[in-house]
Amino acid sequence: MDYIINGFAEAFRLIFSFDPEIMEIVFLSLFVSFSSTLYATIIGVPFGILLGITNFRGKPIVSRFLYTFMSFPPVVIGLFTALFLARAGPFGQFQLMYTPSAMIIAQTILVTPVVMGIVFNQSSTSGYEVVLTGKTLGAGKGNTLLLLIAELKGTIMIALVTGFGRAISEVGAVMIVGGNIRGYTRVMTTFIAMNNNMGQYSTAIAMGIILMTISFITNSILYKYIIGDINEYRD
Amino acid sequence: MNIETKNLTKTYKETTVLNLTHQCNPLFFESGKIHGIIGPNGSGKTTLMKIMAGLISQSSGDVLYDGRSGNSDVPKDITYSSHRPTLFSRTVFENIAYPLKIRKRPKAEIQSIVTELLDEFEISDIQTHNAKKLSGGESQKTAIARALSFSPKVLFLDEPTANIDPKNVKLMEAALLKRKKSQGLTIIIITHNLSQAFRICDTLTFLNQGTCLYSGLAHGLIESADPIIHDFISFNLLKKSDLPLKS
Repeated sequence: MDYIINGFAEAFRLIFSFDPEIMEIVFLSLFVSFSSTLYATIIGVPFGILLGITNFRGKPIVSRFLYTFMSFPPVVIGLFTALFLARAGPFGQFQLMYTPSAMIIAQTILVTPVVMGIVFNQSSTSGYEVVLTGKTLGAGKGNTLLLLIAELKGTIMIALVTGFGRAISEVGAVMIVGGNIRGYTRVMTTFIAMNNNMGQYSTAIAMGIILMTISFITNSILYKYIIGDINEYRD
Repeated sequence: MNIETKNLTKTYKETTVLNLTHQCNPLFFESGKIHGIIGPNGSGKTTLMKIMAGLISQSSGDVLYDGRSGNSDVPKDITYSSHRPTLFSRTVFENIAYPLKIRKRPKAEIQSIVTELLDEFEISDIQTHNAKKLSGGESQKTAIARALSFSPKVLFLDEPTANIDPKNVKLMEAALLKRKKSQGLTIIIITHNLSQAFRICDTLTFLNQGTCLYSGLAHGLIESADPIIHDFISFNLLKKSDLPLKS
């Protein structure tokens, strides 16, 4: 039991000492996760809206695939990304393996279905009604798209938070394609896994606390300014 | 704007829900009048209205707007409002202003039109409220004010007074009659309220199980010998005073 308590004490000391290595790992984690969430948003939001509001014959099958991809194991995505980026793979010439770019690619593949699935689900229900209402009021294609984005703002933000949460907390994909190289591709989750394996629990706990704090702050900001007005207290 | 349907049918998953190829073919809605569509649940009223409003496509047949086919392009100056309207998550004022904003009308004109509608529909006091948080009646009034804001030529209303108290029903009917008279607005309204249908409609169309049993002047429906129509009227009209006067 003592080692857990000591672990927490050590964790706070590490956090407030602003250790340069810890800071570097935190910043790289944020950079990789924010970048992948951004790319996933650019791809996932328009496609999610488009799939949601369009009626076509294979829609149920497409939605089943989409929901399956939402829960795809990160380690499998890491494995497939590595196969493509490895020196002998189809994209080997770009020498992306074991770089932050490879980690961003893997996480983008991981997060895109999450963003797309959430946006698709909401677009299929309320999005379709918004499109019809826009049409009855004379909105053209451009105005309808703007209207949809405005109306689905809350859902898009929830999708981003969920996607970011999935990116920053996953370990399998970044471990495989990044390689956990000190000072280059080491991120919070791979750092925690490594220290746990080495028995350095205090360092692992410290990084765990930082990870949870960042997640809490990100969610709080989005909740306060965007999601809050959807879920506000009603008496 | 005159609206006419010719040989109209709609089939969902091999079930024909609307078939206007025999009786009431063509079905004609004259410009500048209020036309009621009545009939029991599941009779195809909303399907017919949505096809005419260009919201769903027909399986066969055609809808003509002032004699021109709407198969390729439904005119933009027609609008539709349902009994469960979709309001946007912005203020009541902004909802009503939306059709004017996308038409790039000057700000002063938007302000003036919206203010007038807010006063007419007695919703000025809630103009800054989020439209998603309104009561059923307030939502309905906001949706109709929004639909009227850009002075459309045709207004389709699907049970517009379903959630509204008698005072506001009167207010809404007055607003419709005023626009019919002053702007020559064509209004096509689905209602389950027969006394309302006789009060404001010039013509009535009676649908049953996807087919049309009557289309003509409102008071003519009373004289129909069709037993289905007869039963429907007997069941829905409570007072003799609800009956229309022959004109």
